[in-house]
Amino acid sequence: MARRGRQALFFLLPMLILVVAFYILPLILTAWISFTPLTNWRVRDQLDDFVGLENYVNLYYLARYDPDFHKVLQTTLVFVTFTLFINVVGGLVLAILTYLIDERISLAYRLLWLLPRMTPLAVFGLLWYYFFYGGPQGTLNSFLLKLGVIDEPVRWGTDPAMLPYSAWAIIVFVNGLVGVSYGMIIFYSAFKNIPRELIIAARVDGARTWEVIRHILVPMVRWHIVFVTVWQLLSLITSYTHLFVLVQWSVVDKWYGTTLALYVFNTAFFDVKNQGFAAAAAVILVIIGSILGLVTLRIMRFSQMISPPRGDI
Amino acid sequence: MVEVRLEGVTKRFGRVTAVNNVNLTFGDGEFTALLGPSGSGKSTILYLVAGIYKPSKGRIYFGDRDVTDLMPNERNIGLVFQNYALYPHMTVYDNIAFPLKLRKTPPEVIRDKVLEVAKFLHIHELLDRYPAQLSGGQQQRVALARALVKEPEVLLLDEPLSNLDALLRIKIRSELKRIQKELGVTAIYVTHDQSEALAMADKVVVINRGVIQQEAPPDTIYNEPRNVFVASFIGSPPANIFPATMDYTEEPCINLPGGTRHCVEDEYAGVLWRMKPSKVIVGFRPEHAEIVENPVDGRPVIVGEVYTVEPLGRENIVTVASEDIHLKVITPPEVRPEAGELVYVAVEKGKLMLFDPQTEVNLRYIAREWSQGG
Repeated sequence: MARRGRQALFFLLPMLILVVAFYILPLILTAWISFTPLTNWRVRDQLDDFVGLENYVNLYYLARYDPDFHKVLQTTLVFVTFTLFINVVGGLVLAILTYLIDERISLAYRLLWLLPRMTPLAVFGLLWYYFFYGGPQGTLNSFLLKLGVIDEPVRWGTDPAMLPYSAWAIIVFVNGLVGVSYGMIIFYSAFKNIPRELIIAARVDGARTWEVIRHILVPMVRWHIVFVTVWQLLSLITSYTHLFVLVQWSVVDKWYGTTLALYVFNTAFFDVKNQGFAAAAAVILVIIGSILGLVTLRIMRFSQMISPPRGDI
Repeated sequence: MVEVRLEGVTKRFGRVTAVNNVNLTFGDGEFTALLGPSGSGKSTILYLVAGIYKPSKGRIYFGDRDVTDLMPNERNIGLVFQNYALYPHMTVYDNIAFPLKLRKTPPEVIRDKVLEVAKFLHIHELLDRYPAQLSGGQQQRVALARALVKEPEVLLLDEPLSNLDALLRIKIRSELKRIQKELGVTAIYVTHDQSEALAMADKVVVINRGVIQQEAPPDTIYNEPRNVFVASFIGSPPANIFPATMDYTEEPCINLPGGTRHCVEDEYAGVLWRMKPSKVIVGFRPEHAEIVENPVDGRPVIVGEVYTVEPLGRENIVTVASEDIHLKVITPPEVRPEAGELVYVAVEKGKLMLFDPQTEVNLRYIAREWSQGG
């Protein structure tokens, strides 16, 4: 048993070092900072100055009474739910389409969908900045003006009359466009691994295309669906880069474009530079992420899919 | 059930012609084996019958019904694959029930039919398992059950035994034949294994490069191969084939390797006189010859040196080198000549096969066609 333990440790060690150095230690540090009043990186003065749960209490009051923070929480919920749906279901639909059509067209089609992912963040952000720009020069505005659909330019992401839905629609759309290709690639390669005979067998058994999709293709990539769902859920909870650009360039409303992750980032590094408070919010975010991740695995019955190891060490 | 007919069927994949102008009839209730090396087009023919491929030219009929343009699900066929192609995420029960569910059969009927076919194939105790929990032989039966539950008019089998171990293969081989006869279903069986084809089939169709080489009952295929390809493909080891020159001074005689001569039997004499080829291709089966110390009686004899002896227990395979030709002879186990020993290979009377060097067709068939043609 001791020998097995040593062997297991040997194989786990490289990853353990990475996890400890880049996840556990920062996490402990963040938790530590969350109990200090650290602001403006005055590390020498404030890092050992404990204030107990003050930051968490502040966070609680903010969540209870601050209307802007309410918007952040709502936005987080809407953003994660809808973008996750687009990323998983949209990715699945795209993968099925590209799987069923001719290989050459399929390749071009998949490349097209990968473009947003290959485009540098700033360029991609700029693209949508121009597209949704509120003045008459904005791409969407100028197009609609020329068509005569609208008479005067619309401030798409910031006009109070259309908030919060317009801002939410924009952030979900822009992020979904980037995220959907991830599921598409994973599902497509999973489909390609399904033996051809299974599809032929289903055809001979009398299955139409829709039935092949429902009874063969989708059930056979169940593992991949769970993986993509959990992965995308956690990335959506914690990622903020695209949102940062959209908010910073005023493509969307400040609060209806800010999720909790972006809020933490802005609080720590950008607006008020209150690292202690941001750390407390970050800790809460980690806890939410962990719980949601586990719940998702539970809902999708991950434990039933784990098979015993293929070999002994 | 139904008769399956291919009329002038050609299938091209890009520039490759996989099946070339095939006319073929699979008899109603008959067990037909499509036999050929890999890449010969035998599986393509099966998939054409299944409707997975559309012919580039020609028509396919099930009885009087033209099915050329019908989808696989409109043809009422059962198909069993080499790797079984069971749906891994479904239980055995669901696998077998799948084709019925797609036909919107009422659940009670599905239940009865699945149980019936499962009992018939002795897999009724495995219905709750998943394919991964079954042995190769059990998976094979499930695949067969899934094909049979539809009560197909035509049962298509694509090398269904080649993933099984040797013992199981022989066991399932006889079982499969019994099942086919019991159900009276028209069966088409693709294989590259000649022993399977000869053992199971009512009729064997030998295919090479997309062209039918011979279409006949197993013993005809074995004893009277239509051409050099069939002779050299069938048998284990296959027939000895070598070229020889002819001599027509008095009667048609073959100059055999090693310097002996053999004057041909009457059945070949006529056709040889008429064609007068300067060369022929000679063939005989290893089991139709023996090693003798002295040339006797009128049997064709070839002189050569023993090259190798392979003892197989029940028999020995002796390879004899004569000039630059290697001949294989199956001998009783006690016949064990030394390598390098000078021996005579005597071929049984009437077992020497002669082929036209141009077309590689068996002269016996040419003679027969001439006598029929008048």
